Amino acid sequence: MPRVLSPSALGLGLRVSHHRALLEAEARLPVDYFEIISENFLGDSQPARYHLDWVKERYPVVLHGVGLNLLGPAPPSADYLDRLAKLADYVDAPFVSDHLCWTGAHGYSHHDLLPAPCVPELVELAAERAALVQRHLGRPFGLENLSSYVAFEPALMSEWEFYARVVEQGGVHFMLDINNIYVSSRNHGFDPYQYLGAIDLSRVLQAHIAGHTAGPSGILIDTHDQPVASAVWSLYAAAWRRTPFPTLLEWDERIPPLGDALAELAKAEEQRA
Amino acid sequence: MSWRTSPAWLLELQGRFGQMLRTPLDRSSGELRAATHEYDPALVGVVRPDHAEASRAQLAVYNRQYWFRLFTALQGMFPLTARLLGFWRFNECAEQHLLEQPPRGWDIDAVGAGFVDSLSRANVDEAALEAARIDAAYHDVFHAPPVVPHQFSPDEAGRLPLGRLRRSQAVAILHEHWPLCELRRRVIASDPAALLPLEPRRAEERCWLLARDGLRLGLAPLAPREAELLELLSGMPVAAALSSLEAGCSPEERLQLPAQAEAWLSRSVRLGAWAGVDFD
Repeated sequence: MPRVLSPSALGLGLRVSHHRALLEAEARLPVDYFEIISENFLGDSQPARYHLDWVKERYPVVLHGVGLNLLGPAPPSADYLDRLAKLADYVDAPFVSDHLCWTGAHGYSHHDLLPAPCVPELVELAAERAALVQRHLGRPFGLENLSSYVAFEPALMSEWEFYARVVEQGGVHFMLDINNIYVSSRNHGFDPYQYLGAIDLSRVLQAHIAGHTAGPSGILIDTHDQPVASAVWSLYAAAWRRTPFPTLLEWDERIPPLGDALAELAKAEEQRA
Repeated sequence: MSWRTSPAWLLELQGRFGQMLRTPLDRSSGELRAATHEYDPALVGVVRPDHAEASRAQLAVYNRQYWFRLFTALQGMFPLTARLLGFWRFNECAEQHLLEQPPRGWDIDAVGAGFVDSLSRANVDEAALEAARIDAAYHDVFHAPPVVPHQFSPDEAGRLPLGRLRRSQAVAILHEHWPLCELRRRVIASDPAALLPLEPRRAEERCWLLARDGLRLGLAPLAPREAELLELLSGMPVAAALSSLEAGCSPEERLQLPAQAEAWLSRSVRLGAWAGVDFD
């Protein structure tokens, strides 16, 4: 049985710019676990593996992927899934997650998390595929909701209905990104609390929190380049108080020193009170 | 595992979306801007049928993200090259490279494959091209898999002339006509906006063995003939490599070659240059 994280657990996304500070830390850091980007560790780079080993000997590690391409035209290669399963076994990951999206098609890989129309036909497709991934991994698999900048028409169902049905039908889990709910709500004009209300929080493996930026045209962009916005904290607090779940801070651009990132993460506890 | 295929309409939508992502950014204004007028109207129509301009602006977020994510990945792998060319010119070369060789797999680092050749076709100056080779070597050596440097047994040492040495993936031989390795060190340590001028071309080429030791990269200077020998050894049996090296030497060099070659071989072993030896 994979390890289980406490619902009160606080995690941080492992980033290269923090490696040195981690190695030099003299005491255990105020963080309960780390999340790694799966693809950064699927290869055989010795430095990557060295840092992973250092972290996994001290903290639980969960896997978060960006390359599964769940709604892509072709199945993930057996090689990709085998590497992912092997990595999950190696770190004894409590769970693995990736996104409810597509990342490539027609032989191209776009290295971005791209939305698909929210239609019933794709619920079945995504649910079936997510279930297969979970079975292959042999441990809980969570799907993350996207930040999106376009919505396709005609919309036959809301994004939250689409997301919830995929998770339910697939027998998988939510990797609920609170910041993404907020960003998409602003971009598409829906109520983020209505979205939250549709989520069975008992199936949330983990929530992501992160910062975002307003682009020149007013569109909110999921940049992960600054502290968490107060509106996102409010949404987070409402969700966590309803049913607690492990919480992870992502920071991918203009990454602050490790201490500052951990201080931002610690704010989650204040929000829960 | 059976994986149901996607419906045809989704494949068609994804094809159009992908084409939009790969639409080159417009450079004519002196800034990189999304060329939204080039987007497929059929794609624009399924985003905001009522408001084409808003639809194009929304799609442009993805278009810009596609290019900037890949530019950033390449800049990270080729920091010295980017600094020498300047980011504007570097991104122009990167765009051409990515149009010719768009990403195909989950590993974003794979976009760096073939970039040196692309720069060569783009006729960048010689120093930038040399910088790109050096950047590529640094990246490949650092991210090489774990390698245990080979320790030769007495039996292997005795039969060495017949052996083919396997070069460790955690080393590379660098050729420098400008002090680029030192400049690269300063580029990595400096602010991206700092001015770091390229010093004049050296009178003679310098060679280095770049080797990973733990999590660090180190440079060991190589004599030109030493570098030549190490390169020959990577492609042919030891005896043949020594003969080939000797053939290119002057009579004066030949007198000292046996002793030097032995010393160079020993040094290369100490520096961890070899992962093994094969005997036919």
